[in-house]
Amino acid sequence: MADPALHVKDLQFTHAGGAFALAVPDLRIDAGEHVLLAGGSGRGKSTLLQLVAGLRDPQGGSIEVGGVRMTALEGAARDRARGRRIGMVFQTFNLLHGFTAAENLLAALMFSDVPAPQHEERALGLLKALGIPDPDADVDRLSVGQQQRVAVARALAARPALVLADEPTASLDPAHAAEAMDLIQRACRDAGAALLCTSHDPAMRGRFARVEDIERFARGAAA
Amino acid sequence: MSRTLTDTRIVLRSLQARPLSTWVTVGMVGVSVGLLLVLLGMRTASREAFDRGSGNTHLLVSADPSPLVAVLNGIFYANAPANPIPWAKYQQIRGSFPWLWAIPTQQGDSYRGFPTMATSADFLTKFEPVAGEPWKLREGRLFERPFEIVLGAAAAKGSGLRMGQEVFLTHGSGSSREGGDEHAGHVHTEYPFKVVGILEPSGSAHDRALFVDLESSWILHAFDRREREGNHAKVGPADLVDADRMVTGILLRLPTRPGSDASAAMQQQFDTLRRDTSIVVAQPAQQIQRLFEIVSNVDGLFIGMAVVVLVSSAVSTMLALYNSMAARTRQVAVLRVLGASQGRVFGMVVTESLLIGFGGAALGVVMALVGGIAASAWLRASIGLVIDPALDARSTVIVAGGAVALSALAGMLPAWRAYQVPVADSLRPAA
Repeated sequence: MADPALHVKDLQFTHAGGAFALAVPDLRIDAGEHVLLAGGSGRGKSTLLQLVAGLRDPQGGSIEVGGVRMTALEGAARDRARGRRIGMVFQTFNLLHGFTAAENLLAALMFSDVPAPQHEERALGLLKALGIPDPDADVDRLSVGQQQRVAVARALAARPALVLADEPTASLDPAHAAEAMDLIQRACRDAGAALLCTSHDPAMRGRFARVEDIERFARGAAA
Repeated sequence: MSRTLTDTRIVLRSLQARPLSTWVTVGMVGVSVGLLLVLLGMRTASREAFDRGSGNTHLLVSADPSPLVAVLNGIFYANAPANPIPWAKYQQIRGSFPWLWAIPTQQGDSYRGFPTMATSADFLTKFEPVAGEPWKLREGRLFERPFEIVLGAAAAKGSGLRMGQEVFLTHGSGSSREGGDEHAGHVHTEYPFKVVGILEPSGSAHDRALFVDLESSWILHAFDRREREGNHAKVGPADLVDADRMVTGILLRLPTRPGSDASAAMQQQFDTLRRDTSIVVAQPAQQIQRLFEIVSNVDGLFIGMAVVVLVSSAVSTMLALYNSMAARTRQVAVLRVLGASQGRVFGMVVTESLLIGFGGAALGVVMALVGGIAASAWLRASIGLVIDPALDARSTVIVAGGAVALSALAGMLPAWRAYQVPVADSLRPAA
């Protein structure tokens, strides 16, 4: 049986200020599965994604991504594992400004286990598939929609097992939000990557076969 | 070739993103490296230039007040020596030891501000203005009889004199009356000198001089003496008396075998000659060393200032990078999310600092080279001083390497700031 894209077991996390805590007894996302993590703002959705990405340290429990136990890794090894197994999409895209669209993908490929000779082909192929006409355009000259496509392409560049999308539609109107989610889900499906997407927008629930509510895991007052 | 991104390319992009800050910082490092190299180069070059004038002379005898003044006057033409040495004293010294040569010199006259050196033919055939580099004629021949004149290269260029022209020397070392200086000494209009030769540049102070036969000079001054006595008749060699036969310096060289060290014998002769209180004896090399010791404090001050400028440029690099980190926190956080380790991000910032150091060092070396060539050309044209504009390889490596090392050190604090960027907090949407 294939390793799950994500397996969180007995995770314990208390925010430094004690404002809120997360307790995740068991959360499993299969390879290629798309899951919405729903819930109100400040309940810990982003924090859970950061824990999964290894950007925060939990007080207990384990997190496995694509069969690699992230919580057992430290420092550069954890950074390397994140670069190889996890793609991230942010609300504000967080592109590398001053770099071209292609370079944003090449930056992700730098830290992946994709062989260097394949980097260019991989980056250009993804950008073409996601409708970016000029891969050498500076990302600051692209439209907002194109920037989002570059962000999605970058998240998939390293052939990750899991894509974490943190409120990717929070700043968009409903029409554009639907368009953006179409893009993310289609791209992940095409790449065979699992998707864990957070959103406080109830309209998003209908797009996912599986919805997990953060309230299941949240402990304490809202942050 | 397929496109890939490397750490260095990311660093270059970061530098390109801040062109003004980058170029100003590189420029500051460049100016400080260039300044330090020029100062070090000029120190070495000026020392070499001073070393050139004394050539293959072992000892210099004069009646000047001190050995240093004797060298400055007799070799670098600082002033005309005021006190003469009788010809009999010259003969006594020449006969006191089997010198390889003992060349009499007399200074005091000039032409358009260029000093005249009255001497024997040995000055142009045996004395080498730069050890191992004898005089070379560019045009004509050496003087063979009285009232023939041979021009140093800078004197020829500066005076505009050409072969075959006749000139009148001026008594004294200032500008001649022909040049409009009323305070200069009188012009020896009774005795024209004919230009018979022009020398190649030697890279020494002698290039500014005009060389004439010693007897010519004695005749000029014998004529002056007789005029003061009311006798206006022209003077010939037969009219010279002992009071006319004066010299102002004697260049001495001991006999040496190739590869042998003459210092012990030289010291012995030096001590012997010093017992004569009517003369001053100088070892030119020793006096030049003393001159540099005197000015070494000022020299050290300049070098110290240049080092301070270099350190200041490193501090500027550090501040420029450190301040830029505030605006680049998100970029660092993105790189971390993509898989860059803290160490790799630290290395990128230090590399950025190193590249600024490399760029500045390269710019500084170019500036020093161009500045050195310009200064060398100006010194050669204006005072005939030949300074090698080439940079000393050791100094260049030390200064450029030091600048790069300082830049790398300056990058440590900003790199530490990048190392500590809180990734999760830095990726939040701006409020």
